[in-house]
Amino acid sequence: MCVWLDIFVEWIKKALRAGFRTEVKDFFMRLILVDSPDEVRGNFYPFALSHPLWELRCGFSSLGEKLVARVGAGNVACFVPEYMAAAYRAKVEGLVNETSVLEGDDLFIVDPRIKADGFNVSTAGPSEVGLDEQGDLLYARVTKTDLAELPKDGIGQFMASAKAKLPNVKSALPTWQYIWDLVLANADQITADFATAGRSGVEGIVEEPSAIRGNKKDIYIAPGAKVHPMAVLDAEHGPIYIDEGVEVHPFSRIEGPCYIGKDSILLGAKCREGNSIGPACRIGGEVEESIIHGYSNKYHDGFLGHAYVGEWVNLGALTTNSDLKNDYSCVSVMLDGRRSINTGSTKVGSLIGDHVKTSIGTLLNTGSYVGAMAIIMAMGKPLPKFIPSFAWFLEGVVTKGFGKRQLYETAKVAMGRRGCRWTEAEQDMWDAVFEMTAPMRNKAVKKGRRAMLNR
Amino acid sequence: MATVEERIKAVTARVLKLDPDEIKPEHSFTVDLGAESVQSVELVAMFEEEFGIEMDEDAALSVETVGNAVEFIADVCKQQGVEVEQ
Repeated sequence: MCVWLDIFVEWIKKALRAGFRTEVKDFFMRLILVDSPDEVRGNFYPFALSHPLWELRCGFSSLGEKLVARVGAGNVACFVPEYMAAAYRAKVEGLVNETSVLEGDDLFIVDPRIKADGFNVSTAGPSEVGLDEQGDLLYARVTKTDLAELPKDGIGQFMASAKAKLPNVKSALPTWQYIWDLVLANADQITADFATAGRSGVEGIVEEPSAIRGNKKDIYIAPGAKVHPMAVLDAEHGPIYIDEGVEVHPFSRIEGPCYIGKDSILLGAKCREGNSIGPACRIGGEVEESIIHGYSNKYHDGFLGHAYVGEWVNLGALTTNSDLKNDYSCVSVMLDGRRSINTGSTKVGSLIGDHVKTSIGTLLNTGSYVGAMAIIMAMGKPLPKFIPSFAWFLEGVVTKGFGKRQLYETAKVAMGRRGCRWTEAEQDMWDAVFEMTAPMRNKAVKKGRRAMLNR
Repeated sequence: MATVEERIKAVTARVLKLDPDEIKPEHSFTVDLGAESVQSVELVAMFEEEFGIEMDEDAALSVETVGNAVEFIADVCKQQGVEVEQ
């Protein structure tokens, strides 16, 4: 509900700035988010295994929330990969994978990889399809008249037909290419989102003695947030936004730019610049330039840097990742366990999927990939750079461990502790992810067995 | 070719660092032979490697004794077309 209220407020602001008549039409135009093709989605694994791309976060909010606010549409529908449709439908208010949304009035389709800040296509006007350099559809503006000529059996056919029948234009809209791009852009995005939010000051509670450094206009503490005594908020190098219900415990230091999401708790954390945390996270130790999704915990000491962490992750005490190689060379990442991708950046930490659990003392390598639902037991040295989804990494090798059912039981318990329910639709989605990720995992399991045998 | 039982005892002895002659069919892997949870996972993996089979984790980890393991693995081998000496 709050998301839609925020969208409406943003629309009103935009309408007042730009002229009301056009904006009314925009508000009632239907915006359709269509998830990217599989080969592209893989660039955003492991998070995208269990989420549509627009749920990726950068700054304060998700890519989808940014696009919706930017476009200004009040009527939003979406198409996700079919295996996650039921789970997503249960999660959101809105139409998911319903072809009925392709009927009716003008509509505007967008690829969620488009960077909202760079989105400059008018949503009003004649039909056109914007293609990137590879010829993939980035957006489609379809008038009601042209809509009548396009097939509505499925989104794939609809888009293919739109591309074939409607005028094509080359589009230079900027897009996100890989999941680590979001991490690297996070600090700047937080600063931009803080400016857009237009809020500053203390509406929550700051208990003394606490220290606020920098310009107080660069700090916002939302209603219901509490900063305990002996905390330091340092906005000298960027803004700090502490959202509703957050608790900042003593001896925490928060360095801006930083966004702490609703109902999160910082437990004596050294929260360096560039973090987007939450909602509902528990964070201790040192965190830097990381994006951490909701309900994930890093309760204790250990360093997490330049990481992208999914939901429901628990990082055991002293879990630490490397985000910089000893020789300062560019970090490479394996998203599929085979192909090494040069990130072009010297600072990339770990990509951690939903529901990962690490044991105490886990050491994650630079540019490491930990697939969704993986269980990691530390081995006293940095782990391999690629751990497949649903792997039980025990005794230094990938194993089948205690199986998928035990992982689901653990997920159910973890979610129950926060008052959330593990549903049948969610389990069906995870079953599909299990199958999708089987080839790489089975290969790693066989390799692990051979390693065990040769000990 | 060694029998299924002999092969299971050999793997068990190697993983749990025991004398294979001291392993009996009625022995429980956990209670009598001292297998910890992670070692149980290793045992399953090593049985799979030894026999060239894939076992359902839930079913395999539910096997309690050496004798039960002999029956279970022999059955899996039969289902997966792996020839063994009974």
